[in-house]
Amino acid sequence: MLKSPEEYVEGILSHDRLALARTITLIESTLPAHQERARIIVNQLLPHTGKGIRIGITGVPGAGKSTYIETFGTMLTEIGHKVAVLAIDPSSSRSGGSILGDKTRMEKLAVNPKAFIRPSPSSGTLGGVGRKTRETMLVCEAAGYDVAIIETVGVGQSETTVSSMVDFFLVLMIAGAGDELQGIKKGVLEVADAIVINKADGDNVTRAEIAQREYETALHMLMPNSPNWTPPVLTCSSINGNGIDKIWETIKEHRTKLTDCGEMASKRKTQALDWMSFLLDDGLRQWFYNTPDVKKALNELQKDVESKNTSPTAAADMLLRFLPTIGSTTD
Amino acid sequence: MSKHPEYQKWAELASKQMKGKAVDKLDWMTPEGINVKPLYTAEDLEGMESANTLPGMAPYVRGPMATMYAGRPWTIRQYAGFSTAKESNAFYHKALAAGQKGLSVAFDLATHRGYDSDHPRVAGDIGKAGVAIDSVEDMKILFDGIPLDKMSVSMTMNGAVIPILAGYIVAAEEQGVSHDQLSGTIQNDILKEYLTRNTYIYPPGPSMRIISDIMEFCSTTMPKYNTISISGYHMMEAGANSVLQTAFTLADGVEYVKAALKSGMDIDTFAPRLSFFFGIGMNFFMDISMLRAARFLWYRLMSQFNPKNPKSSMLRTHCQTSGWSLTEQDPYNNVIRTTMEAMTAVLGGTQSLHTNSFDEAIGLPTDFSARIARNTQIIVQEESQICHVIDPLGGSYYVESLTDSIISEAQKIIDEIEELGGMAKAIETGMPKMRIEESAARKQALIDQGLDVIVGVNKYKLEDEKIDFDVREVPGTVRDEQVARLKEIKATRDQTAVEKALADLTAAAQNDGNLLEAALPAVRARATVGEISDAMESVFGRFVATTRCISGAYSSEYKGDSGAIDEIKKRTTTFLEKQGRRPRLLVTKMGQDGHDRGFKIVASAYADLGFDVDISPMFQTPEEAAKMAIENDVHVVGASSLAAGHKSLIPALIEELKKAGGEEILVVAGGVIPPGDYDFLFDSGVKAVFGPGTPIPESAGKTLTLLEEKYLG
Repeated sequence: MLKSPEEYVEGILSHDRLALARTITLIESTLPAHQERARIIVNQLLPHTGKGIRIGITGVPGAGKSTYIETFGTMLTEIGHKVAVLAIDPSSSRSGGSILGDKTRMEKLAVNPKAFIRPSPSSGTLGGVGRKTRETMLVCEAAGYDVAIIETVGVGQSETTVSSMVDFFLVLMIAGAGDELQGIKKGVLEVADAIVINKADGDNVTRAEIAQREYETALHMLMPNSPNWTPPVLTCSSINGNGIDKIWETIKEHRTKLTDCGEMASKRKTQALDWMSFLLDDGLRQWFYNTPDVKKALNELQKDVESKNTSPTAAADMLLRFLPTIGSTTD
Repeated sequence: MSKHPEYQKWAELASKQMKGKAVDKLDWMTPEGINVKPLYTAEDLEGMESANTLPGMAPYVRGPMATMYAGRPWTIRQYAGFSTAKESNAFYHKALAAGQKGLSVAFDLATHRGYDSDHPRVAGDIGKAGVAIDSVEDMKILFDGIPLDKMSVSMTMNGAVIPILAGYIVAAEEQGVSHDQLSGTIQNDILKEYLTRNTYIYPPGPSMRIISDIMEFCSTTMPKYNTISISGYHMMEAGANSVLQTAFTLADGVEYVKAALKSGMDIDTFAPRLSFFFGIGMNFFMDISMLRAARFLWYRLMSQFNPKNPKSSMLRTHCQTSGWSLTEQDPYNNVIRTTMEAMTAVLGGTQSLHTNSFDEAIGLPTDFSARIARNTQIIVQEESQICHVIDPLGGSYYVESLTDSIISEAQKIIDEIEELGGMAKAIETGMPKMRIEESAARKQALIDQGLDVIVGVNKYKLEDEKIDFDVREVPGTVRDEQVARLKEIKATRDQTAVEKALADLTAAAQNDGNLLEAALPAVRARATVGEISDAMESVFGRFVATTRCISGAYSSEYKGDSGAIDEIKKRTTTFLEKQGRRPRLLVTKMGQDGHDRGFKIVASAYADLGFDVDISPMFQTPEEAAKMAIENDVHVVGASSLAAGHKSLIPALIEELKKAGGEEILVVAGGVIPPGDYDFLFDSGVKAVFGPGTPIPESAGKTLTLLEEKYLG
C-alpha cells in the first residue's frame, strides 16, 4: 500500500508498474491534495528524466493510429527499448464518462512486459491535456521507459500542445487522395517532423505512393519548422510491418542531426520555458478563481451581466481589482 | 380492390371503444422500424409481388419444397457437445434413441480458436461450452457407433474448419465410409464471426480463401454435404432485430457466392449446397414473416448470377430458438418461450430446428432439460396436427403484409451494403457491427424501463428464486484427460510423417493449394488441431479484432422515467468531486469466449452513466487482465463470462491482482453464471454477481454503492 510520496518515488525508480499507475492517477486528479502530492513526487523524479525519446503521434480518426503504435511499439521492444504509450480519449460532454478502448487495438503491446499503456479521459482534469500528459511522460521516463509515445486525435487544439512537449511529432495519414488535406488543419502539418501514409498494403500501395507525392508537394509550400530538418513523407503498413523500421531510422536520424547542431538542447530548453509559462498561467488562473472573495463576487457579477445590470467590461474590472488584495493576504 | 365497404364503420366502432381516440393510436412501431396497424384487410395485399405464390416454386415465399411438412416434417436436430468426446458420444446415443434425427456438434472454445487442450491460453475453456477435440482420435470416439454414411452431421465450426472438417472426413474413412457418402453441414460462416461471435483465427482474406477451398473440394468429392451454413443466429443473439438479421445474413451469402465465382467455380456446382441458419426470437409474427421474406429475397438476389438449377436460388434453413430470450429468473418460463419460438420457426417453414433447453441461462443442458427441449418440438410435430397444411399462414393479411415490409426494409440495407462494395468491405467500415450494437443497446434500454416485458425479470418477479433442478457441471478433469491423450498420441505417432505433412500444408497455404485436401494427410498422420492451425497461421497470421464501442445509444433510448439514470449520473459526479476522478471500470472477457454483446452494452451504458470505462481486448488471460487493471489504475474490474469458465478464470484474476499489489481493486462478475456458483465466487473474493437480465441501472447502482462504501464511506 503506497502512502508517502517517498514510497511512490521509490516504487517508480524501481520500475514498479503499480506505483507508476497510481502516480499518474494523482497527476490526473482534480483534488488539490492529490495534485500537491503529485507535484512533490514529480519534483523528486526530475533528475531521473530527460534521457528518453519523446514522440507525438496524431492523425485523423481512422488513420490507424492505435494499430500503428501496436506495430511500431512492438518493434521497439524487440530491439531492446521500453515503451510508454499515453493515449487521450474524448470524454462525453453529456455524461462526463468515457470509453477507453485503445488497448483493444493494441492487443500485443498491451500484454508486453516491456510496454506501459495508459489511456486517459480528456476531461475531468484541471489544466487540460498539456499539464497532465507532460508530467505523466516525465514519470514514465523515471520509471525506465526510454521511448514515450503520446497519441492524440487529430482534430482540435491538443496537437500543438503535444508537439510542444515532444522531440518528434509524427502525423499519420491514409491514402484517399486530396480530401484529407482539407480535413487536417494546416497548423498540424506545420509542426510535423514527418508525415507517414499508413495502410500502404494490399491493393492500397499505389494509392499510398500517390498520396506520398501529394504531401511532399504540399510540404514544400510550407516553411520548415527547423532549419536543420526537412520533414520527409514516408509510407508504411501496420499490418505487414513494411516501412516501420524506416520510420524509426528517421526518428533516430532526426535526433542525431538536431543534437549535433545543438537544436535538440535548445528545443528542450524552449519547451521547459514554455511549460513554465504554461504552469504559471494555469496556476495564476487557479489561484485567482479559487479565492473565496473572487468566487463569491464572480457568481454575483455573472448574474448582473446576464440581467444587463452591469457591463461585461465593468464586471471584469471589478473582479481584477481583487488581485492586489489576494497578493497581500496570501503572502 | 378498394377499402372494405364497411371499413369506415369499423374505424368508428373502434374509436368509440377507445373513448374517441383515433384508431391509428393503436399502431405499433416495431424495433425494425415497421409500422404495424391494429387491423389488416384484403386491401393491404393489393399488388403485392410476394403474396399468392406456390411452395416449391419461385420465389419460394411459401417454402422451398413443394410438399413441405405435409410430405416430410422438419428435421429435429439438437445442438450438443460438452466435456470429452466420450461423454458427448454417450449423450448423442441417448438423444438418437429418444427421437432425435440428426446430430449437431458443439465444440469447445479452445477447438474453435485452433488451440490444443494443453495450450496455456485456454486452460479455462476445455470441454466447457462444447466438446474438446484435439485430433482425429477424439473425432473417432465422438462418432463411435454412429454410422457416418447414414447419419447427417452438422458441425458448428468456423475458425478451425480445416482441421475439424478434415478430422471428420478421416474419422469416416477409418469407419470405412467414403467421402461421397457423407451428408451434413459445416457452419463455415466466417464473416459473421468478425461481426459478432469472434471465434475466428485468421484475417478475413485467408479465411475467405479457406471457404472457397472447402466449397471446391466438396463440390467434387462430397456432393451431399452442405459446405456452409450462412448464419444470422449470432447476429440476433448479439441484438440485431429481424430486418438486420435478414439483411446481413443474405448479404454475407452474396459475398460467399461472389468469392466462389471469383475462384472460378460455376454457380450451379456450389449454390445448391449453401444453407442458412436463422435465429428465432419472441416476436411471433415478425419472425414467421422473416423466414418467408428471406426466401423471397434470396431468390431475387441469386437471379443476378443467372443460375440454371432452380435449387441454386432456393433458401433452405436451419433454425434455433433464441438463447438470449431465456431467463435465469423463474427459468421454467423458458419452456414456454421455446415452445412459442419453435412454433414460429415451423410456421415460417424451417427445414430443421434446434429447441433450447430451459436451463441454458444457468448452465449446460442436463439429460433432463435436453429431453424437455427435444420433446418440445416432437410434440409440435407429432401431436398438434400442424404438419398437414403447407404454409398455413399464407394469405393472412397481416403475415403477408409483414413479409412484404421486411422484404423492402431489408432490401434497403442490402443495397446500402452493395454500395459499400459488399459485406466484406462493409464489415471493414464497421457499419454492420455498429447497427447491431445500436439495436442491442436500444433493446436493453426498453427492457430496463419495463417497456419490453420479460416475465420474471422486469415484471411478475419471484420473491424467492430457487433452483430445484440439477445443473450440469463439467468436471475439472477434462483438461487433464485431454492433455494425457495428446501426450500419448505424440509419443506413438510417426513424427517425421507428421512434420512432412505439416510442411506440405504450410506450402499449400503459401502456394494456393487446396487447404482441405492438403490437411487430410496431416490428420491421417495424427497431427493435432493446434498443429494444423499453426501450420497455416505461420503464413496467414492470427486476426486481431478491433473493438469499437458506441456511446449514447443506451441513454438516448432511455426516454421514459430517467430518474434512475439521473440519480446514477449524480452519484458518479459526486464521486468525481470527492475522489478527484470518475469511477473507473475495466470490462474484460477472459478465456476464448467471444460473445461480446453484454460486455459492449455494459461499456456503452456505463459511459453514458458517467463512468470512465476501459475495455480490454478479447480472449484475455487472467494475468493479462490484471496487468491492464493495474496499469489503467481502475477501481473495479467487471468480468463477463458466458462460457462456463468463471469458476477458474475469475478467482485466477483476483489472485493475479493480489500478486501485482492491486488487492484494492474490486472484482464483479456478469453473464451466464449458475446461481449455485455465486457463493463460490463470493468466497473467492467477487463482490457482486449480475446474472442475465440484470437491468443496467441496477448493476451500475450496486457497483457504485460498493465503490462509495469503499472510498467515500
